[in-house]
Amino acid sequence: MTMIKKIFIQNYKIFYRFDLELNVDLNIIVGDNEVGKSTILEGINLALTKRLNGRYAEYELTPYLFNRKCVDAYLKSIKEGNLPQLPEIIIELYFDESTGLESLRGTMNTKKEDCIGIKLEIVFDEDYKEEYEKLLKKRSEIKLIPAELYKVQWYSFANNPITLRSLPVRLSYIDASTIRLQSGADYYLQDIIKTDLDAKERVELNLAYRELKELFSSQESIMGINNKLINKKGAITDKSLSISIDISQKSNWENNLVPYLDDLPFQLIGRGEQSALKIMLALEHKADESNIILIEEPENHLSFSSMNILLEKIENKCKGKQIIIATHSAYVLNKLGLEYLILLRSNNTATLKNLPPDTQNYFKKLSGYDTLRLVLAKKAILVEGPSDELIVKKAYLLKHSKLPIKNGVDVINVRGLSFSRFLDIAKELKTNVVVVTDNDGDYAKKVDEKYKTYKTFKNIKICRSEENSLPTLEPQFVACNNFSVLNEIFGTSYENQESLKKYMEGNKTECALKIFETDKTIMFPKYIEDAIE
Amino acid sequence: MLLNKNKVIVACAGSGKTTGIVEGALKLGKQRVLITTYTNENLDQIKAFFIEKTGCIPANVTVQSWFSFLLQEGVRPYQNQMTERGRVESIFFIENTRDSGKLKEKLRYIPESQDSHYLTEKNYIYNDKVSKFIYNCDKYSKGLISKRLEKIYGSIFIDELQDFAGYDLNLLGMFFNSHINIVAVVDPRQATFSTNTAQKNRQYRKSKIYSWLNGEESKNKIIIEEINDCYRCNQQICDFADKLFPDLPQTVSKNKRLTGHDGIFYISSKKVDAYVSSHNPTILRYSKKTDTLGFCAINIGLSKGRTYDRVLIFPTKPMLEYLKTKELSKAGDKTKLYVAVTRARYSVAFVVD
Repeated sequence: MTMIKKIFIQNYKIFYRFDLELNVDLNIIVGDNEVGKSTILEGINLALTKRLNGRYAEYELTPYLFNRKCVDAYLKSIKEGNLPQLPEIIIELYFDESTGLESLRGTMNTKKEDCIGIKLEIVFDEDYKEEYEKLLKKRSEIKLIPAELYKVQWYSFANNPITLRSLPVRLSYIDASTIRLQSGADYYLQDIIKTDLDAKERVELNLAYRELKELFSSQESIMGINNKLINKKGAITDKSLSISIDISQKSNWENNLVPYLDDLPFQLIGRGEQSALKIMLALEHKADESNIILIEEPENHLSFSSMNILLEKIENKCKGKQIIIATHSAYVLNKLGLEYLILLRSNNTATLKNLPPDTQNYFKKLSGYDTLRLVLAKKAILVEGPSDELIVKKAYLLKHSKLPIKNGVDVINVRGLSFSRFLDIAKELKTNVVVVTDNDGDYAKKVDEKYKTYKTFKNIKICRSEENSLPTLEPQFVACNNFSVLNEIFGTSYENQESLKKYMEGNKTECALKIFETDKTIMFPKYIEDAIE
Repeated sequence: MLLNKNKVIVACAGSGKTTGIVEGALKLGKQRVLITTYTNENLDQIKAFFIEKTGCIPANVTVQSWFSFLLQEGVRPYQNQMTERGRVESIFFIENTRDSGKLKEKLRYIPESQDSHYLTEKNYIYNDKVSKFIYNCDKYSKGLISKRLEKIYGSIFIDELQDFAGYDLNLLGMFFNSHINIVAVVDPRQATFSTNTAQKNRQYRKSKIYSWLNGEESKNKIIIEEINDCYRCNQQICDFADKLFPDLPQTVSKNKRLTGHDGIFYISSKKVDAYVSSHNPTILRYSKKTDTLGFCAINIGLSKGRTYDRVLIFPTKPMLEYLKTKELSKAGDKTKLYVAVTRARYSVAFVVD
């Protein structure tokens, strides 16, 4: 079974030099926009099929495939009058030893590692040396990589050309974000259907299609038309003119036959259903053959319940297949398992493989929870409820003149869930996290003791008040602010702190909102000030 | 202790060597098998045998020329262990260049520590350095090439081993030491080509490969089997051919069929016309420079492995000398003569004046 163990990308789009280890079963790639989630899938597809955007890569070469950094270095060097080497794009797929595809073995990869694998390289074509030299004479005009002088090389790690026989992989690439439709079935769907058919069935389909086409020209009405056309002979040409369906090798069934779903042509059904169907088809492939399934944003165009069904299918049918999913959905991530997460950041990648199993399970059951926000945050402040969230944001705004999110600080309301589950994730991803918590009347026992295992982590900070007599946010707030100012903010007229505190406790969110919106000068408890430093 | 899994079959012409290889490969079931040989002609014959036997070449069998195999599975996979140069695109055949002698002379002075000892400027590998490159690369990489081959192939069949020379023999030695079962077929009498003209192992070139094999046998690396039954030629032709190699075992013909025109004949050039129209022989020549009186002819070297009912040979001067005097020292290229004679089932005629 062909499984990708490791991938290396050089100079391709956002990746200057990029290494990524993959799980042999499920991989969920998560990351901010523009960190290259889709590029990874695209790169794997390119290296496994030599195809880009559904066409052979040779026809899709543009200067924009090259990484900005290598292009800039090249152009700078050109401008300085040097003769720099033209940048090369390399994508290498290192396969698992268990694949047994020994003919692909060799050390001809960038790491000189004796490994089974393949590589796709986009390199300068020496045949165009003359053209390039001509170009160099007007070097000030070189503003882009001369991609038209490039060629695509597709070799194994043994440096031999790749053949279908040497690379027996069924690849399904499902991109729900942009479904590309050509005439008839789109390329990816054709591919999925084709790989589902065995050789004999494929031949039968082609034959039946050809017969159908031949039948067309023997129809009486068509013959009549053709007879009439033959009489036109001589007007323009001496050859006889007739019409028929194109039965040349080029036009086979893929261009003209369309899959139907409940009598609806495929391209007319909803986009969500289209991609769900493709995923299902790909998942149904026999497990005894090598299957790699790339799925881009499965959550797109799908209702919550359809997505749930789809994810269950993926979970149940992924055995023996390598699945790589790029997603923006925390639901997808939680549901399929946080342990499969590959977090892509601009400077590194991280996984949650060491997350305690009970925490993994916890989020699997509470799939609706927005773990992705924490995963993607540069810095997060975890709070217990909506009122804490508002107060923290207000405090931050007053101190930094900006809402926290503008500085990449996400204030996440854990909604009564356990902080420790989130801290387990933060611990693994090394995300800076501040917890803002009530002391519940006993800071030593209820806070410090509870979170003592996280104390050693520099990226985790726990903020709580040592004032046990002020167990929650509301008494804390009443204690540090002028009583009449609060009355003014809330539009109330309580006579003592105690009754004001009661009021606040009874109307937590409403009070917090008023505090958030007020222009009046207010003070914040010290533990909140600590949290927003 | 090494088991004698490696077998070298020393066989005479017409003994069914190639058929034996094809049948041997088919017997191995699902095992991955390579069949390799030096000439494309022989390669085509092996493929044709498969198609005759089973309709196609089975998926587990690869039939590949020796050079193509060396390039693909020997040179390329670990090329970067030996050199920083780009991908070795192909093989550069020195003999095909206009001034090959001069080039060879020049190359002799480039030490093997330099890439250009092996490679042309455009990263083609010299044909006489292919085996050397692989042999050394395997050594430097601590056996990566042999280990890889062991994972790919269970058995390797080599036909026409007599064509191998130079470092090819070192490579063979390397294969003999691997886990791969090697079956090689050799007819020391038919060494018409050699894969390279490198200095290495010069003492073993052509017919003398036999003594190298004996050496390997005494080291217990291989067992040697002899087949001296000829299914093609009749006894008269076998006897004539055997006389060219008196040191080698005598051949026993299994072709007892008589046609009324059997054995060795000599005709004058004036009678060639009549002979051709009455017996319709296949005409053989040494090279295209040979004057064949306008008749279509096949080069002897290319006729290897073929079977014809009758042949008519336009002999070279040394061949004529031998026919006249029967002195072996005057026969020139004996192997060519041997190949030419042993193509025929029933009759061999020489054009002599």
